Amino acid sequence: MTTRAVEAWTLEPLVKFVKEAGARLVLVMTSAGQVLAQSGFARAVDVMSAAALGAAIMASTEEIARQLNQAPFAALNHQGERHGIFLAGLATGRGRLVALVVYDLDVSSLGLVQLFFEQLAAELQAASPKGSVSKQVLAADFERDLSDSLKTLFGR
Amino acid sequence: MTAESPGGGYGRALDLITRVRGVRGAMLVSADDGIVVAEQLMEGIKGPALAALAASLTTRLRRAMEAAGVGVSLFWHLQAEQGALLVVPAVSGILVVAVAEPDVNVGLVRLELLRGAEAVA
Amino acid sequence: MSLVNFTTREITCKIVYYGPGRSGKTTNLHYIYGRVPDTRRGRMVSLATQTDRTLFFDFLPIDLGQISGFSTRFQLYTVPGQVYYNATRRLVLQGADGVVFVADSQARQLDENLESLQNLQSNLLEHGVDVRTVPLVLQYNKQDLPRELILSPADLDDALNFRAVSSFSADALHGQGVFETLKGISELVLKRLAAGTAV
Repeated sequence: MTTRAVEAWTLEPLVKFVKEAGARLVLVMTSAGQVLAQSGFARAVDVMSAAALGAAIMASTEEIARQLNQAPFAALNHQGERHGIFLAGLATGRGRLVALVVYDLDVSSLGLVQLFFEQLAAELQAASPKGSVSKQVLAADFERDLSDSLKTLFGR
Repeated sequence: MTAESPGGGYGRALDLITRVRGVRGAMLVSADDGIVVAEQLMEGIKGPALAALAASLTTRLRRAMEAAGVGVSLFWHLQAEQGALLVVPAVSGILVVAVAEPDVNVGLVRLELLRGAEAVA
Repeated sequence: MSLVNFTTREITCKIVYYGPGRSGKTTNLHYIYGRVPDTRRGRMVSLATQTDRTLFFDFLPIDLGQISGFSTRFQLYTVPGQVYYNATRRLVLQGADGVVFVADSQARQLDENLESLQNLQSNLLEHGVDVRTVPLVLQYNKQDLPRELILSPADLDDALNFRAVSSFSADALHGQGVFETLKGISELVLKRLAAGTAV
């Protein structure tokens, strides 16, 4: 199973979690749906769809909680026939993140996922860099590259 | 010892088990998802971790036993250095679990687990 | 908020198509989806009602390829246009790097356009974002309709384009102006990134 991190500090805790919890797919993302790390997905664009939907579910339930004057829900679980989907928020130095975990019911269970998720949350919090990401300037030729890219995309 | 059981019937089933000398706690665990349904545990016992372990091992055992053609599991006992885990799967999809000292009277605990399984069935 | 990683050299930006109900936000995404090669786009996700009105959002991830040595991806979202879906509209807007405001050019829809623009402003403010600072372009859609039914781009500029941002005439159903609009917002978003203000 391939595990990939956009932000390197997420990699080690995630690899450990996938192994211990027996997870099939895992995404760690910002609450706006930007992916920081993933495991088990084949294509980057599929990761983005899953992240958009996961972040939307989380945002919806947080909004319901807000309207009920409640703190955000800690976690959500959906038990399907063969797979379970576990969605939970976690606090890190990079702000509040969201984890989406898909697990096979014949390999893992909600109990196992919950158990190791607590460890994942603690390890991500410990590993996360504090403060803002360093700012660097992109190369100046990006406008030409962008134009070429869009032309390629639209076939014109 | 903490008692957190939603129904009186579950509480009574756990009482029978925790009354045995050497038992540190008892739980009813959902076999499918490894979540604690009810528990009576001494302080310091990691209920969620043991529940997840019990459900995970039960699933794996069931598959291995099916492959071996020996039928379904009625009782299993995991002896560890610092304690023991004893489990009886009830027909309702609930695992009746005892957490005990290493030198507990296994026969007696098994008897109470079976009674507990009948009570929650 | 865009995600820029200088180690893995990746950029991911979120662009939201905003505007009143039935102005053509989803149609923009459908056209883009149809024109972008399979290898450069993900599945289009539509959370819609049974009558195909957007309920939560439409989502289309596209891969722009290498830009200045960065693997660049855009996440295109639409919001539901109907007034009563404001809670979900605000959620989708969270973390947007750029906004395309799709206006309905029909003269009788002018009030809806204005109301939606004001709604955009207040929803951005709820996220702590000033509408004057967020990259924004306007698209005047349905310019293919008979002249007597619609306002001209110049009239729409007068009525809606207070910030004097780039505006594009469009017929999203047939693709006219869709590409230009996406290019316009992409340039704004990436220019802002290049200036190092949005990371």
